Amino acid sequence: MRPYVLITGASSGIGKAIAIKLSQNYNIILHGRNQSRLQQVRELCFEGDHIIWEKELGEVDNIEDNLASFIKANNIMIEYYVHSAGIMKMLPLKAQKIESIQEVFNINVYSAMLITKTLSSKKLNGGMLKSIVFISSNISQRGAKAFQVYAASKGALDSFMRSMAIELAPKIRVNSILPGAIYTDMTHHIFEDINFTTKMATNYPLGLGNPDNIADGVVFLLSDQAKWITGQQLVIDGGRTTDISE
Amino acid sequence: MEEYFKQMAELLEVDSVNTNDELNSFEAWDSLTILSIIAFVNDSYAVTLNANEIKEARTIGGLKKVIDSKKK
Repeated sequence: MRPYVLITGASSGIGKAIAIKLSQNYNIILHGRNQSRLQQVRELCFEGDHIIWEKELGEVDNIEDNLASFIKANNIMIEYYVHSAGIMKMLPLKAQKIESIQEVFNINVYSAMLITKTLSSKKLNGGMLKSIVFISSNISQRGAKAFQVYAASKGALDSFMRSMAIELAPKIRVNSILPGAIYTDMTHHIFEDINFTTKMATNYPLGLGNPDNIADGVVFLLSDQAKWITGQQLVIDGGRTTDISE
Repeated sequence: MEEYFKQMAELLEVDSVNTNDELNSFEAWDSLTILSIIAFVNDSYAVTLNANEIKEARTIGGLKKVIDSKKK
C-alpha cells in the first residue's frame, strides 16, 4: 500500500508542485485553506487515494486536535510530512506590528511545530512517521531589507529542524530545503517589477528556478536514497547564495 | 483624518505631520518608507498604491486625496 504524505500549503506554488510529483508514489494529504483549489490540485495528481485537509494554519490553538481528528476520521497513518505552507510579507521593521509578526510565525513556524508534535505521537499517529521536510528559504542564512520577520521565521524553522532531527532519531529523519526566489502566487508581486526580475536573473548562476526544482529535492530527501541524511539544510537556489564573484 | 496623520507621522519618524508637508522633505523618506506606506494604505484603506503614485502625490494631503479617490 502506498504511504501517506501530508503536504501543507498544497494548493499553490511549491506545495502544489510537490503534491503532483509525489503523487506518483505516495497517497497525498493535500492541505490548504481553500477546498476548491485543493480539489483542482487533486485532479492534477496521479491516481491515488488523495485526501483533502482544509485548515487555516494561522489559527494555531486547535491545530493538534484538528489534525488528530482528521487522522482518526480517515483511519490513516501518516508516514511523511512536508511543510510547504508559508507566508511572506515584504515589510520594513517600522511597519511591522505584533499581529503581522504573529501571523508569519503562526504559519511558518508554530504550525510546523504542532503538526510535527502530532504526527510524531505514537498515540495519535501510531508511531508511523518516517521523514519530515520543511520548506525553508535561503534567506534563513542571509539578510535582506524588508525581509526581517520572514527571515527570522525561516531561521527558527531551521533551528527547530536541527533539534528535532536529534530528538526524533533514529526513527524519524528531519531536514529542510532552502529555496531561492521562485515565481509563485506568494512571490508574484516581487516578480512583477521587470527591473527586479532582470536583476534577479543575473544574480542566479543557473538562472531563475521553478517549483519543480524544489519538488525534486523533496522526493530525494523523503526517499531511502537519503536514509543517512538528517538535520541538514539543502540549499536549492541555482547557486545564488554561493556566488561572491562581484 | 487624525488617524491618517498619526500613522504617517509614525512611518516618517516625526512627532506630527501637516497637510502641506512635502513627502520628500522628511529625513526618513526612502524606499523602505514608501514600502511601509504601501502596506499601511493597503491594510487601513484596502487601497493598493504603487511607489510612483505615492511620489506623484507630493504632499501628505495629496496622498490622502489619492487614497480617497481610489477607495471603492
